[in-house]
Amino acid sequence: MMRVLIVDDEAPARDKLRRWLGTHADIEIAGEAADGLAAAAAIENLQPDVVFLDIQMPGLSGLEVAAQLESDSAPLLVFVTAFDEHAIRAFDLNAVDYLLKPYDRDRLEKSLQRLRERRGAPATRSAVSTARQETRSSERLLVPRGEQLELIDAAGIHWLEADDNYVHVHTAAAKYLVRRTLNDLLEQLGERFVRIHKSTAVNLAEVASLSPLFKGDHEVRLRSGATLRLSRRFKDALFARMPR
Amino acid sequence: MPSEPNYLGDRRALFALWGLFWLLMIAVAVQDDISDQYIKWWEPLLWEGSSCIFATAWLLLQQRYSRHWNRYLAQPLKWFGLHLAWFPVIALTFIVCIYSFRHGVYALLGDTYEHESWAFIFLYESVKLLLFTALWLAIIFGLASFSLWKQERERLLQMQRHLAESQLAQLKAQLQPHFLFNALNTISALMQSNVEQADRLLTRLADLLRASLAASSRQMTSLREEWKLLELYASIMQQRFAGRVTLTWNASEEALNASIPAMLLQPLLENAYKHGVEKSSQPVAIRVEAQRVGDALHVRIHNTGTGPGAPGTGIGLRNCRERLALVYGERAHLTLAPDADGVNATVTLPYEVFRA
Repeated sequence: MMRVLIVDDEAPARDKLRRWLGTHADIEIAGEAADGLAAAAAIENLQPDVVFLDIQMPGLSGLEVAAQLESDSAPLLVFVTAFDEHAIRAFDLNAVDYLLKPYDRDRLEKSLQRLRERRGAPATRSAVSTARQETRSSERLLVPRGEQLELIDAAGIHWLEADDNYVHVHTAAAKYLVRRTLNDLLEQLGERFVRIHKSTAVNLAEVASLSPLFKGDHEVRLRSGATLRLSRRFKDALFARMPR
Repeated sequence: MPSEPNYLGDRRALFALWGLFWLLMIAVAVQDDISDQYIKWWEPLLWEGSSCIFATAWLLLQQRYSRHWNRYLAQPLKWFGLHLAWFPVIALTFIVCIYSFRHGVYALLGDTYEHESWAFIFLYESVKLLLFTALWLAIIFGLASFSLWKQERERLLQMQRHLAESQLAQLKAQLQPHFLFNALNTISALMQSNVEQADRLLTRLADLLRASLAASSRQMTSLREEWKLLELYASIMQQRFAGRVTLTWNASEEALNASIPAMLLQPLLENAYKHGVEKSSQPVAIRVEAQRVGDALHVRIHNTGTGPGAPGTGIGLRNCRERLALVYGERAHLTLAPDADGVNATVTLPYEVFRA
C-alpha cells in the first residue's frame, strides 16, 4: 500500500489527482494540503510514502517544502508544475520525478510505476538536495512552534544541539525542537555553521571567544553568553574558519 | 527609448551662421566708410562691434531660456508671439546698451560720439532691430523645426522597429506560459467532474487567446476592449482560485472610450494574481478602476496582500513601461506603490478618445 499526500493550492487540480489515484487498489490517499506550510505539517503528521507536490503555492513553494525535509527519511516526492523551466532542468539533471501540468492519465501511470520501483530504494536524497539547491534553503529553517510550523532566519540561530533523532535549535528568543539529524541540518544550512562537538554546532558569527581547557579541549563562549565545549577533534576545523 | 531632444546640431549651424552674418556686416561697414575721410578707421568697427556684442548676448539668452517654448514649434504663431512679446524689452535694453557702450568708448578715446536726436535714434534703431529680430527668429524657428522633425522621424522609426519586436514578446510575456498551462490543467481537472464548466472555461481561454493574437497585430485599442480582456482573464483565474479572490470593477463610461495600447493592462492584473493571490492563503481583494482625470486617463489595479518583491524588475512591468514610453514618451507612466492594505499599480496616460 502506498500512502499518498496531495499538495496543490488549486482545488480542481487536487480533485483531478484524487480521482485518478483513487482508482488504484495499492494507493491510499492519506490527505491533501492547499499550501506549503500545511503540506510540511501534513508530511510531519501523516508520514506519507509519496507526496505529489505542486511547486507554485502561497507561503512556501513546493520546492521550499522539499528543501526543509530530512533527506534520508523524506517521502518519495513527485513535483507537479505548470511551467518552471529552471526547476525542470534541475529535475532532469538529477533524475527527480515531476509531472508537467496538464498531464494525462498515461503520464500519471508512468509516474506511479516509477514510484513503485523506487520504493525502498534511497532515491529521495536527490529530490531534497535538488530542492535545496533551487531555493535559498540555507537562509531559512522550518521549525515547529506549538501546533504550527514557522520559518525562522538561519542567521538568527545561535547554536544547534543534537539530541537523539532531534536537534535543539537555539535562537536569542527561543529554543525549538526539530525532528532532523544534526548532519542533515548542517547539510542544509551550509557554511554558516561549524561543528564543534559530536553533538554541537555553532553559528560562526555568534562566537565571541575561545579559551583552552584541559587535554586540548576548548571552551567556546557565544555572544549570548552561552558556553559550549569544543572537542579536540573539531578544533582545527573551527580554527581554520575563525577570523583572525 | 526616445532620446532627449538634441539641439546641438542645429545650434552649431545657428552660431556659424550668426558669426558669418556679423563678419559680413562689419566688413561691409568698414569697406563703406574706408573712403570717408571724416570717419576714423575704428569707428565702423565700434558701431557694428557693439551691436554684435549685445545682439549675441540676447541670442545666448534666447537659446538658454526659451528652450521650453520649443514645444510650440507646431504652432508658429504662438511661438513667434511668445518671442516677440519680449521685443520692447529687447529693443530698449539693446539701444541703451549699445549707445552707452559707444559713448563710453568715445569718451575714453577723448572724442565725442555724435549722432541724431534720441527720439530719431530710438525709432530708427527699433525698426532696424525689428527687421533683424524677425529675420533671426525665422532662422532659429527653421532650424529648431528641422531638428524636431528629425527627432520625430527617428522616434517613429524606432517605434516601428520596436513594434515588430514586441509583437512576439507581447504574446510571450503577456500570456505567460505559466498561466496558460495552469489554465489547461484546470480544464483537464474540471473535465472529470463538470463537463459543462470545463467547456465554458475552454471557450473563455480560446477567446482570450484569440483576443491577444488580434491585439498583438495592432498597437492601440479602446479601454472598453481591454476591459473585456481583463474580465475574461479574471474569469479564468476565478475558476482556479475559487473562493480566494473577490474582484471589483469600476470604470466610467468616459474612461471606457479612451484609447490605450493593446494588452497593456493584462500583465498588471496578472501580477495582482501572481503576487497577491498565489502567494497568499488569505482571501485577496482585487480592485480594477479607470477614470478620466482632466487630460489624463488613470487606470488603477489594486490588490490586498503583497506585490512583486523588487519593484520594477518583473518582465510584465518592464514591458508595460517600455510600451508606454514608446507610444507616449514622457507623457505616460506606470507607478507601483504599496499602500495601507496592499499594492497599487497605476497607469497614467494622456486621455484620447479611441477611434477605430
